[in-house]
Order: sequence, then structure tokens, then C-alpha cells
Amino acid sequence: MAQFYPLRVTDVKRDTRDSVILTLAPPAGDEDAFNFIQGQYLTFRRTFDGEEMRRSYSICAGVNDGVLRVGIKKVDGGWFSSWANDELETGETIEAMAPMGNFHAALNPDEARHYLGFAGGSGITPMISLIKTVLDAEPHSKFTLIYGNRSTNAIMFREELEDLKNIHMGRFTVVHVLESEADIDLFSGRLTREKCDALFERWVDVCSADLAFICGPEPMMLGVSDALKAHGMDERAIKFELFASAQPGRAKKRAESASADGGAQTKATIVLDGAVRECDIDKGAQSVLEAALAADIDAPFACKAGVCSTCRAKIVEGEVDMEANYALEDYEVERGYILTCQSYPRTDKIVIDYDQ
Amino acid sequence: MNENTDITSYLAEGGKLSAPGNAPPRYRAELMRMMASFVDSELAGAAGFADCINMGPGVKERIAASRIVLEKHDHAERVLKIMGEFGANTDRYMQVHPWTERVAREEDVGAERRGGDMRLNVFWYPIENWADAVVMNVMMGKATIIQLEELARCSYQPLAEAFREILPRERRHMELGEEGLAGLRASDAGAVLASMDYWRPRVAASFGGRDSERFAMLKKLGLRHRTNADLLTEWDAAVDAVAKSLAA
Repeated sequence: MAQFYPLRVTDVKRDTRDSVILTLAPPAGDEDAFNFIQGQYLTFRRTFDGEEMRRSYSICAGVNDGVLRVGIKKVDGGWFSSWANDELETGETIEAMAPMGNFHAALNPDEARHYLGFAGGSGITPMISLIKTVLDAEPHSKFTLIYGNRSTNAIMFREELEDLKNIHMGRFTVVHVLESEADIDLFSGRLTREKCDALFERWVDVCSADLAFICGPEPMMLGVSDALKAHGMDERAIKFELFASAQPGRAKKRAESASADGGAQTKATIVLDGAVRECDIDKGAQSVLEAALAADIDAPFACKAGVCSTCRAKIVEGEVDMEANYALEDYEVERGYILTCQSYPRTDKIVIDYDQ
Repeated sequence: MNENTDITSYLAEGGKLSAPGNAPPRYRAELMRMMASFVDSELAGAAGFADCINMGPGVKERIAASRIVLEKHDHAERVLKIMGEFGANTDRYMQVHPWTERVAREEDVGAERRGGDMRLNVFWYPIENWADAVVMNVMMGKATIIQLEELARCSYQPLAEAFREILPRERRHMELGEEGLAGLRASDAGAVLASMDYWRPRVAASFGGRDSERFAMLKKLGLRHRTNADLLTEWDAAVDAVAKSLAA
């Protein structure tokens, strides 16, 4: 089960007009839990209006920097990012899980590799961690960063990137691609397939590169990877990290439960893959999952023992008894998530949504 | 589905995911099933093979069988760890199913799943003797390699990477079987051929049916690329080659 630790905010630094960099200190005794691998992220939780929200942000520090930092860009309508940008202050605590994520490659100090990094907007945050760590741990390797932004004042970590160029002279190159303000055509526009093709033909040698890391919005990631593959890079050498855009907004309130009563059957409405289906459930005898499968509804499941969480769904209306739950966390249960393999209806009507 | 439209088309166009937070519900569900099927097959397979260690005629064979049991558990653990990142309870997982349970030798499981776990059908059949263990290991080993090569291309990058690390070791397990098979050819040819006849249709069934609608959905999610029929054809050819080498 996920464990959260209270982290103390030791610094809040404004980086651009709409982004901040938080420096965090783990609680005494739990420092080891926050030893991270380059490119990993932290998942934070905070309660807004009585509802728990979780958000993940990439760590933007090298593994040997001796500091834990995350960069948070304000998203329109994003509760967590707005709070972090507008209200959070030094000295407060914020809860986070130990670092997670797989956006990295194993380091080898003897290797002389050429890394390519492609970042779009706040996709720079894990890249900072990768760049710093790689240049530090692999003295013969070099890193080329292609970094897309709307305009100069939207560039996160601008000064820090300049510093890195000076520290690792000749081993670190940054190419800024800006939607506006760029003087040269090649460096103007968005990081699309065509833009990458042009860069690879005239500026960046893909053949000399061993690995590529891409972090940004979906269309950019597809365009960059297509261009890399077209220029001869093996698909397995391309690492993707997609962030933020797909994280759902604020969770909806759970609908009021209908009152429990004693009929023998429950009418169930099941939402799955955008389709709405109805089925009957024998109260006390059939689980929600069993009834759905009996009605030829392609409901997901694996262990049928309340352990794996594959059959997770949200109860939108009505009530169920969950016999066993070894997988869902309290906050998920509070939000109305159930394990359908373990859930037996209590009410005459229930609405179950697998799509939430 | 609306908020997932972007991510669905991203996946359909070959995009990859690397964190649970980005997985839409149907994607999460299919990925979990895929992982559970692998983990359960490794656990059930290893549990069944553990009993075969003592059937090994020599120390070398017993070391090979022990290694296979050890590494299959390790492979299960690696993938279970990824399931854990999606919320599965990894501490309890081992305890919920009777991994050593088998059906009677002549019972027909077909391509169905039995009981509570997601192991492939083939891991429901009991192994009879050392020659049978070796044959099953070669035939299912060839299937595992083909199936893992397919899954190693899947759009969930941490899983694809785990499978790429697992693949050479599973290949080695199959090769250990082939070495054993070469030894049995002279001493136990009749038993080997009988076992091949027994396992061939059962392993073939592990490739699953020809549900094209389901395949289309998995393909759109980037979780599958080649059809079951395609994989099965490749396996058939590989097994024909084994049969031919035994007859030579």
C-alpha cells in the first residue's frame, strides 16, 4: 500500500511567470525513502473541499545534487498546480509518496554515449534530472537537448541550462525551438515531425546518438519519435514520458446513495467503454462482476480475489458490500471506487461506472 | 471516454506510456489482464516444474530445472512489481491462488481459463515424468518466446522493457530443454514422441482464439501488434523443425 511522507517545503522559487520550483526535505529518518533515480517523479496528495487529489510532478535535480526539487507549472483550472503556484509557502509541509517512475536508462561511467533529449514546455522537469545525472555520472558522455516553448519568457530552467552549458563545456548542447521570437527559421515553430526532420538534417546528428528521451504533450512525442525512427534510431532506444495532460481534472462528487431495502434482485446499470448496459443481480448471491460477465458485458478482471485491482470501477448510485479489499486505498473507497469482484449490491438499483 | 480521446489516438499512432497515471480505464484493464496472465502463468508453471526437479536423472538436469523454477519466480516478481504500481497488492498476490493445482491428465481445458487465476490453459495439465517435463518445456518454451517477443513491443514501456529483459532468460530455459531433448532422443524416443503428441494441441491452444474485434481493440491501444493466428503459425513451424530434428 502506498505510504505518504510529510515533506517540508524549504524553498519556493518562482521560475517563470507561471511555474515554481519547490525544494523539499524528507522527514528525519526517512531520507533513504527519497533516494531517487534520475527521471523519476513524486506523487503528492492534498485535500481540496473535502476531497483528496493526487498529482505527480517530476523531480528536477540530479541524483548527486543532494537536494529534492520538483518543478510545477500552473495549469488552467488545475487546483493543485494553482495552489502550489499561488499559495504554497516555505515552511509548510506537503505529503508525497516515495519516488516512482521508469524514465531513465542504466548509467555506466565507462560509456561515452550521446543522449538526445526532447522536451516540450514543462516536459523539461525530468530532463533536468537526466541531464545533470548523466553528465555527472558518465564523464565521457554528451547530451543534446532540444527544447520547445511558446516564447523566451516561458522557458523553464533557462538560467540553470545556461549554467550547465558552462559547467560541462562541449558536452551539453541546448537547442531552443520557439513558437515566436526565434530569428532563425530552423529554430522557430513547434516540435513537429517536420521540424525534427529539418533539425536532424541540418543540426542534430541522430546517427551518433545512442538513446533519446522525449517528454511533452502527445502530438509532440509522436512527431519526434517518428522523425527519430525515420532517421535510423531503433525504437527500443527511445524513451517516452507523458505527463499532466492526461491526468483527470477534479473528481466529481459521489451521487447520493439510494436507501437500502430488501428486494431479491438489483437492477444494475453498467457503464463500460462509453456504453451503458443493464443487468440483474441476485442480491447476496452474485457479485457485480459475476452478474456483468453473465450478461455478456466485457467487464475487466483478473484475480477475482480482491488483490489485483483490475476490476476496479466507481459506484455512482446505490450501495454495495465489499467482502474483501486488499488493493484499493481508503481515499479511493471514499471516492466511491469498488472492486467489482468483491462487491455485492445492497440496494435495488446500482449504477457502476468502469470508465472513471 | 472524452478526456481520453487524445491519449487513445496517441496510442493508436504508436505512442507509449510510462506511468500508471496516464492510462485510460480500458487500457489499464487490458494491461492488468495481460500482466496477470503472465505472472500467473509463471507462478503456476514454476510451481508445477518444482516437482520435476526431483525427476531429473542427473545433477546437471536438476540444476537446469532448479534454475528454471528460480528464474520463472523472478520473472513473475518483476511483472508483479509493475502491477503493484497500478494498485495490485503484491504482498498478498502469491497467496490467493493454488499454483500447484492441476486437472487430470486427460481432461480437456481447451482454451479456457479455469478457477480463479489467469494462467494460460497449458499450465493446468500435470507433467508425468522427466521426458514429459523436457518436452513440455521445449514446446511451451518456443511459444513463450514468440508470445514475449510480441508483448515486448507493447505500448506500456516499463512492461515492454521488463519483457525484453526476461526474454533472453526464457530463451535460455527453452534451450536447456532442447539440450535435454537431444539426450533423450536415444534413450527415450517413444516417450518423447508420445509427449509431443500430448502437448502440441494444448500449447497451440495457449495462443488463444481468433477474436478479431478484441485484437483490433488491443492493437489500437498499442498492446498487441500481430494476430494470434500469425503467432501460432510461427510456432507451428518452430515445432515442425523440432519434430524433424528428432526424426533425423
